[in-house]
Amino acid sequence: MTLSARYTELSRLADLGEEVEAVWTSVSDRAGSYRVLPDGRCDIILRFDAKQRPIVEMAVVVTGPTTRFYDVPIEPGMGFVGIRLRPGCFETVLGFEPAELTNANLIGPDALAACPDLKSLCLPARDQNELVERLTGFLRRRAADSRLKPAPLSRGVISAIHASGGRLRISDVADMHAISERTVQRVVFKATGLAPKTFAAILRFHRALRLLRDHRLSPASAALEAGFSDQAHMSRVFRRMGGFSPARLPDVTLVSLGD
Amino acid sequence: MAARLGYTILYVADVEATVSFYEAAFGLPRKFIHESNLYAEMDTGQTTLSFAGEAMAEMNGLAIRANRKNDVAAGFELALIFHDPQEAYLNAVAAGATPVKPPENKPWGQIVGYVRDLNGCLVEIASAMPD
Repeated sequence: MTLSARYTELSRLADLGEEVEAVWTSVSDRAGSYRVLPDGRCDIILRFDAKQRPIVEMAVVVTGPTTRFYDVPIEPGMGFVGIRLRPGCFETVLGFEPAELTNANLIGPDALAACPDLKSLCLPARDQNELVERLTGFLRRRAADSRLKPAPLSRGVISAIHASGGRLRISDVADMHAISERTVQRVVFKATGLAPKTFAAILRFHRALRLLRDHRLSPASAALEAGFSDQAHMSRVFRRMGGFSPARLPDVTLVSLGD
Repeated sequence: MAARLGYTILYVADVEATVSFYEAAFGLPRKFIHESNLYAEMDTGQTTLSFAGEAMAEMNGLAIRANRKNDVAAGFELALIFHDPQEAYLNAVAAGATPVKPPENKPWGQIVGYVRDLNGCLVEIASAMPD
């Protein structure tokens, strides 16, 4: 999950481990909504009242993998600290598969019911920094205690799909790892909660955004390089996944395995 | 405007494993591995052979077809020159390289064989071109 307004990714903490792709914080200064784009990732988030000291009111949110955008209503002073989990590490940390949460979130009591250990995050805290420390500590402890580590095959398959910007056909991914397409389906679904085709489509969407925003390519060039059949195809995907057109890009956060 | 060939960079799944493999299979010494484990250079003289993690391709905004042992080899090769290609070939295969074609004499006087490395990249094992 990525929140666009006043979103900050904290610099990589040394010993976070491979499960964590990013640690982020966000405090809203207005009423309105955040647009959340599909990114093939799941986050564990603490939502809190940033005006309180100490912070006593907070809720845990676990976001599932999404296939299209959604908007989160926000109020001034609403704070978030979150951890973006690397694909394949959801089950390691939470003990159940991300597929159970596709296009859904677990908020407050529902999150605690799914993973009772999350209760340990909801104690009063001095400030936002203490919440960040608590969340990263939780991740470290859960990962160290977990026996559900992603298999090397899962890493290889996810890395190959990522490196291609979602452009490899699933049959190619299967052939290059000497496994069946069915196995690719199973491995990607277990790691991300998404079908490989959907996961790849999300990565193409993110890469096209990157080519437009960071590489400053024209929409026609970006569509071609990102693997869309034409600019109209890219525009349709942008509207469906992001709710915006390539000509009017919002401020969004893009993900990569190297984060 | 004239370019100079500076680097050959292979994107690989595991930079550290690839460096160790190239040391063992081909006797190429490492120059350094960056602490991120996402980039390394071998000590290859004027033209540097480097390995970069697949995540680097993505971070640079590139899209690539990852090199995998079970896939058809990509359309390029690294040619390494040895004093004794026969011995080099046997050593490479013993270190885990996949045999493709044992060294043979070419009409132009070179000895040339082929293996694939741990990532499936083609490596030519050859003698120097005779003067």
